[in-house]
Amino acid sequence: MPLIEWDKKFSVGVAAVDHEHRELIGLVNDAHERLLRPGDDDAVMDFLGEIYARISAHFALEEQLMRIKNYGHYGEHKADHERLLDEIRDIMDDYEDDECFGEDQFAQRLKEWFTEHFRTHDARLHRQLD
Amino acid sequence: MVETLQRAGRHAFSRFEAILDTAFGPKINPLYHLGALSFFFFWVVVASGVYLYVFFETSLGGAYRSVEYLTHGQWYLGGVARSLHRYASDAMVVTVLLHLAREFTLDRYRGVRWYAWITGVLLLWFLYASGIGGYWLVWDRLAQYIAVVTTEWLDWLPIFGEPIARNFLGGAAVSDRFFSLLVFMHIGIPLLLLLGMWIHIQRISGARTNPPRPLAIGTLLALVVLALAYPALSQGPANLDTVVDVVRPDWFYLTLYPLIDIWSHGAVWGLFIGGTLLLLLLPWLPRRREPPAAVVDLANCNGCGRCFADCPYSAVILRPRTDGLPFASQAEVDPGLCTGCGICVGACPTATPFRRVRDLVPGIDMPLLTLRAIRDRTLAATAALTGTDRVIMYGCRSGPNLAALEKTGVATLVLPCVAALPPSFIDFVISRRLADGVALAGCAAGDCYQRFGVDWTEQRLAGARDPYLRKRVPRARVAAFWAGPAGAAGLVDELGEFRARLRALGPYRRGGATPPVSPPPDSPEMSHAAYRVG
Repeated sequence: MPLIEWDKKFSVGVAAVDHEHRELIGLVNDAHERLLRPGDDDAVMDFLGEIYARISAHFALEEQLMRIKNYGHYGEHKADHERLLDEIRDIMDDYEDDECFGEDQFAQRLKEWFTEHFRTHDARLHRQLD
Repeated sequence: MVETLQRAGRHAFSRFEAILDTAFGPKINPLYHLGALSFFFFWVVVASGVYLYVFFETSLGGAYRSVEYLTHGQWYLGGVARSLHRYASDAMVVTVLLHLAREFTLDRYRGVRWYAWITGVLLLWFLYASGIGGYWLVWDRLAQYIAVVTTEWLDWLPIFGEPIARNFLGGAAVSDRFFSLLVFMHIGIPLLLLLGMWIHIQRISGARTNPPRPLAIGTLLALVVLALAYPALSQGPANLDTVVDVVRPDWFYLTLYPLIDIWSHGAVWGLFIGGTLLLLLLPWLPRRREPPAAVVDLANCNGCGRCFADCPYSAVILRPRTDGLPFASQAEVDPGLCTGCGICVGACPTATPFRRVRDLVPGIDMPLLTLRAIRDRTLAATAALTGTDRVIMYGCRSGPNLAALEKTGVATLVLPCVAALPPSFIDFVISRRLADGVALAGCAAGDCYQRFGVDWTEQRLAGARDPYLRKRVPRARVAAFWAGPAGAAGLVDELGEFRARLRALGPYRRGGATPPVSPPPDSPEMSHAAYRVG
């Protein structure tokens, strides 16, 4: 069973952003699947690296949209993005350094990190990006 | 032949650059801002010219008289304005010629840069024509000399039905209307010059048309001091009934005039046309083969525009999406403008070495040195390092020669430009403990060969430009050296200090012993990074 299921609450109504959210969910689920398979640590790291790259690109695109639309809370939102990027890097390093507990706990952390990203999408941003 | 000239020129320039680096510091070294200084001088000439125009009388008797009044009767304003007008024009000739020579020695005139060269060469003559009209307006003995010599020279061409020089052989032939025409030309030609200057910078992005403020203020002050100490003066009123024999020409503008006297007019035309043609053809004698242009991989490009924002040559554009994915745009590279500097790769958010190795293809990549190759070489070069002061240094092709570092036990990797390195490589090397520290070496701080490589790198390290170097990367483990090709010797010393610092820090531990974010106050490398932030 996938770690995160696509839910319409994830949809922000911008085709490009939704498309990337689906891609990211796919990657998070793939990483989770590898995590459950014993002896596949390198593959998990690879998937985490891929998630890091995709989320970086995703944020870059969102930031571009925000700038084009003169979104008033750009600074705060950008800071949120940078914090989330730091967090995924922490998750990656924890996994690499084997400082991470059991698989379930790790999966939970990944899921929380991902859903935290959606909390940064407030209603104002939705209206502006539409 | 071209290479020999370039080497000799580069040798000479680098000596003067080193002297001025010491005197002014690399950020405001005038030799690194010759184009911007030329623009600055142009505006000084415009501002002083507007003031002069208010008092200038466009008549045969009034021209000389009004200039004399400005120079002597109103020396504190009119005289200064006249001197500024004259000396800033001279200075513009100097900076423009140096700009041309320097770009030639740096090989920044052919390949994709032919456009700026061609437009620049043509601008030279607009600059000369603008200036010579100015000498004429003063209507002193020098003006008379220039009027006669110029018109005789022009008369050599079979395009004027009646010799125009005849106008200046007797006083009766020159009318007040003639001065109105001269003023019109002296305003019109500089306007064309300005239009040409605008065209000249069209193919580069973020053209620097203003010198750094300290340099601009210092230059203006120097001009004012010169204007007060040695005011520009007229050389006695023109008198068309006598022949001018001895004048003191201004060598900046009137270099060719004594030649017109000595040689035949045809020979000077030959020199003028031949020299111009040679300069215009220079980018193809021979043509430079640029490295292959950057390539976009649509599967990894969501059109975020960071490469577009960072490309110094406007070679990346954003165009509507073509592959059906629901993104609005995609990056596209114009190979005719791309120098292969790789700064776009350094900006791409998908260009991170943490990714799956098999699929490590960023949204935009350099065919000559792909991101995957940089990753492979980083791993190979760092594998041989030992100790607690292991350093990998990423250098730039035009920066200090890294060969000098071979004996020091530092891993080195040369990129087309230091800004081609995505900041996440630094995070990768340190967090994976491939080395204890990462050093970056590039051109002198104010003189990036690829225009913005040093600026963008500093801003990315300081978290002021995307993509940021993550805050979690301990800054004490990152050093940047901006030195240029001649700076290798100093680099060895600075690198020694950096490694001593790393030894003192001990092995990298996350969130532990190493200071997490802010650089230590005694870190001169990172103080560069702080310089332009904000």
